[in-house]
Amino acid sequence: MSRPAFEAFLARLYVDADFRAAFLADPIGVARAQALDETEGAALAAIDRQGLLLAADSFAHKRAAGAKRRRRAP
Amino acid sequence: MSGAEKDRFGLGWRPELAAGIMANLDRIDVVEVIAEDCFEAPPALLTGLRALGRQCPIVLHGVGLGAASTSPIDAKRAEAIARAIDAVAPESWSEHLAFVRAGEIEIGHLAAPPRAPATVDGAARNLAAAARITGAAPLVENVATLIDPPGSTFDELGWLTAILDATPCDLLLDLHNLHANAINFGFDAGAVIARLPADRIRAIHVAGGSRVGGRILDDHLHDVPDPVFDLLAAVAQHATRPMTVILERDGSYPAMHVLLDEIDRARAALARGRRVRA
Repeated sequence: MSRPAFEAFLARLYVDADFRAAFLADPIGVARAQALDETEGAALAAIDRQGLLLAADSFAHKRAAGAKRRRRAP
Repeated sequence: MSGAEKDRFGLGWRPELAAGIMANLDRIDVVEVIAEDCFEAPPALLTGLRALGRQCPIVLHGVGLGAASTSPIDAKRAEAIARAIDAVAPESWSEHLAFVRAGEIEIGHLAAPPRAPATVDGAARNLAAAARITGAAPLVENVATLIDPPGSTFDELGWLTAILDATPCDLLLDLHNLHANAINFGFDAGAVIARLPADRIRAIHVAGGSRVGGRILDDHLHDVPDPVFDLLAAVAQHATRPMTVILERDGSYPAMHVLLDEIDRARAALARGRRVRA
């Protein structure tokens, strides 16, 4: 498994809090709405939920730190 | 580009550590520079790094290529790495087995991709493209993850091994990343080391992290924990090639002597493993 659309879905899941909340409420429905196939939907339904929330939080901190560094750069 | 002929130990270059590195080159064998720090760097910085490279070998480390993906890498980023290689003249360069963007979304950090045949194929295509553009195949680094990558059909060992089989790239084995994943997902990091192809392990990262939500976050803000030094000794028992070992620290910087002591602990751990092997 994995193709650009699946990776794009994961990337959105990691950075978009509203999308993530909708997904956690209805993983299969949101996967279908994004035109992922049944295998991909099943993989997402079994997602490591705790890990998803921790990873999303960590990525948000990294993006914020990166933005801060860019503002400081000459 | 060339590799080490003996075990070497060094530190990741950061602006905050630059003066300390220059003052302690008698205890630092090699310095690792972040490729992206060179991309829009003032000429004085590049001149300084090149001057540093005349006193001590430099290796270049990319963090933003996103090579382990089913999408192609951005050639412009690889071209920027090529320019950094020209500017700094490193011995070798490396990049992570991660995806960092997809569908025009920037994740902002290194994300573990689905460990699946498609990302093995994608990584092989992307690493070949990167090698064509830069003139040298990178070393590839395993990444830490807080989430078990969705859509995976391989375990971490199987996926890493498949990529090494599919590419000419040797492994930059990050022992804190391996340790973190082992704790986070319940596998034996030592058993992974024992089954990795020994002749493909060429460089090592050591670092520290912190606990978040019961898992280990590889934040590079803390001292290297004891289990990582034990894994370094295990690598030395398993792998015969000379190793370049780099300590990574990205913030909460302690006094320089603390970092130098950690480098010395790495020297001792590797020597311990080498003795056991002998």
